[in-house]
Amino acid sequence: MNTATAFLEACNELYITLKENAIPTAWRGARAGSSCESAVCACLVCVCVLSACTHCFPFTRALCSFGLVFRTNHLKKPPAPMAGSDLRTVRFINTQLLGRRRPTVELVSEDEHDLQEDPAIAMNSLSTETTADREEVLFDCAELYEALADVEPTLFKHAHRSYLDYALGHPLPPQMKALDASQPWLLYWTACALRLMDPQWLTQDVQRKMVHKLALCALDSGPYCGGFGQQAHLVCNYAAINALALCDNIDGCWASIKREGIYEWLLTLKMPGGGFRTGALLGECDSRSTYCALSVASMLGVLTPELCEGVEAFLLRCQTYEGGFGACPHEDEAHGGYTFCAAAGLAILGSLRKCDTAKLLDWCSARQTNEEKGLSGRSNKLVDGCYSYWVGAVAAILEAYGLGESIDKSQLREYILKCCQSKERPGLRDKPGKSPDYYHTAYVLMGLSATEYSFSVRDCPQRIQSARLVEQPDVEPVNPIFGLPIDVLARFVDYNAAR
Amino acid sequence: MSDAPEFQYDDIEPLPISGGQEGELCQIMYDGEYRTVMGIARALLQKLEFSERALHATSQAIDLVPAFYTMWNYRFQIVKALYGTDGAELNRELDWLDEFTLNNPKNYQIWSYRQALLRLHPSPEFQRELPILQSMIDDDTKNYHVWSYRRWCVLFFGDFTNELQFASSLIARDVYNNSAWCHRMFVLKNQVPKGPPAEALTGELHYTKKQIELAPQNISSWNYLRGLYDEFLDGKADPAIMEFALSFTPGIFAADASDTGPQIQSSYALEFLARAYAKNEDTFAQARKAYQALSDHFDPIRKNFWAYKIRSLTA
Repeated sequence: MNTATAFLEACNELYITLKENAIPTAWRGARAGSSCESAVCACLVCVCVLSACTHCFPFTRALCSFGLVFRTNHLKKPPAPMAGSDLRTVRFINTQLLGRRRPTVELVSEDEHDLQEDPAIAMNSLSTETTADREEVLFDCAELYEALADVEPTLFKHAHRSYLDYALGHPLPPQMKALDASQPWLLYWTACALRLMDPQWLTQDVQRKMVHKLALCALDSGPYCGGFGQQAHLVCNYAAINALALCDNIDGCWASIKREGIYEWLLTLKMPGGGFRTGALLGECDSRSTYCALSVASMLGVLTPELCEGVEAFLLRCQTYEGGFGACPHEDEAHGGYTFCAAAGLAILGSLRKCDTAKLLDWCSARQTNEEKGLSGRSNKLVDGCYSYWVGAVAAILEAYGLGESIDKSQLREYILKCCQSKERPGLRDKPGKSPDYYHTAYVLMGLSATEYSFSVRDCPQRIQSARLVEQPDVEPVNPIFGLPIDVLARFVDYNAAR
Repeated sequence: MSDAPEFQYDDIEPLPISGGQEGELCQIMYDGEYRTVMGIARALLQKLEFSERALHATSQAIDLVPAFYTMWNYRFQIVKALYGTDGAELNRELDWLDEFTLNNPKNYQIWSYRQALLRLHPSPEFQRELPILQSMIDDDTKNYHVWSYRRWCVLFFGDFTNELQFASSLIARDVYNNSAWCHRMFVLKNQVPKGPPAEALTGELHYTKKQIELAPQNISSWNYLRGLYDEFLDGKADPAIMEFALSFTPGIFAADASDTGPQIQSSYALEFLARAYAKNEDTFAQARKAYQALSDHFDPIRKNFWAYKIRSLTA
């Protein structure tokens, strides 16, 4: 069976499995070791579809790519463990396991024994799932860096604009119902991404439509929901408020935000341990939901002592022995997304210095690796463009408060511009080989912004200032605590302070 | 769901699931099945009907969009109303949830729902949770939500019996699994309120060193080693552990180390040493040398950070 036939069959199979809502069954079947090529294809297509929504720090499970995308290079055979003759393994061992920067060519040899007898390699190299996964990524990145070695990297702004405009100008295909309970997020991501690339690109027409759409997502009492006729949800409410801030008070829309109602609702979500949970009846209570409460309350000017009681202690307890922060205060694993939420939350409370900032700085710095140049979200996990913001913003916050430098911004910028976009497909992505989606397009651009400016803070977190680091920045400066363009945030905060 | 009982919804008028505005932004083109399933579930929710057919409607809705939190909330209300604290019925609900969880490993809503069910349950059992946790971690050894839920269970049931062994088995499978290393720290910090007894700590240090010898260039095991010292030993590195770390960086502190730097087995060992040296003014020179070597040879992408650390030495 040739690949094309296999692919068609796989699509057919996928269609059936999707219909039966049994993707994981197909996935497991394929992983169980079936050698049938079509099953492997099917499982890879499933992965293509699902990966966009599941693998990284998901503010929502965002299935953001249209249609199914199939890349034949996913069919690359996974590297065999301990294959000393495999060039990729050699490169990997050389650069990663040994942490040296010796040119790879020195290790390329016809004779496998030569390699195995190299004392530096023979020692202690251990191949596991973690190293095999990373090896694949290292190879993809190295390929791109090599091909683009002489290219001055630029952002393909117009292509990305068309990708974003598409979502704002067309009805969304049925498979986007995966985002049905996260509709304000799509607005926030697309509007923020457009606005960062060019303030003019978020048109008044779109702003008006955003206001109408968000009104449909609101309860009469004020808080916002994931969509029409749904219940209020703390993280959807955050996305909705940020999206409204991006609307520039068009037609006086900011007056329609019922901040008293939102404030009363936030109080009902407060838990005895100091955190906030996402819903009044059920829902997780962690550093993410707690940040969403603090950010909204701060932007609306209702960050009262009553609301803040115990919150600082809750967030401080989420810091782990590694220096980053986890989801819950029970020694969860330090994670880029939760670290952002906790650090930004502490900054909003004016309590950033109460955590172990030296260890936090250290942890942020350790997220950047020499070969990929981008940032990972946890120790021994893969690089992902979205952590350019989650971790990059924490680095920017620490920088703004004079607490030290942690990442190499120009190298991260290179990862973003060379590995997170391609000429073939508009939109930004997690890493080479992944499909672009709206979540990554927004957070990679916000991360890019954090690499093109330096930040300082004078009095309060809403007033972070920026200075250019590159002559012609690709994007506008973002406030790394609130996730909005600096000028947009300032206007929204001023408006609410005067209300 | 072919074996599910047939429920009648003929008396229910499905509610609209969208605002129906002309030209609405980002309007999803719902298919007919979705409109019907969601419309019926919404109509039942609006009536606050707590019945077996309503429960079934929520499972259909959740199957279509697992992240639809409103339906999880409604489902919990139904379960509470129908089953109260009936353990057998709640076990049936957990069975349904197990099946759903296996098919939706990255979903956010599952876990807080699960916690709510266990809190409601008159006689919850950790034993009942272990197989699903094992299976989920087997499938995705770094699944953040599953590890976090496991820790919640351990604290909820107050049962640390299996935990170190569980983490060890995952580390044996993949020594780079940071989630498993974190789990060890969770056990050490929570099992005994005053911290682990001396012999347990000694055993843990021994274990960690063994794992480092197996794979010296591993941030997880070195972070953990540092964590043990920071959390339980006042952050004071003793001569034995310094000797251990030095064994992975031979020659690096020799007076005549060449410009290109010798080969070392672990940049994390060098970091460990640099941190320890930076704590004492008498060893600032060694700290500076270590940071400089990291910046020049072993971890140059972090050069801004290393430069910051060197500046802090003189400050």
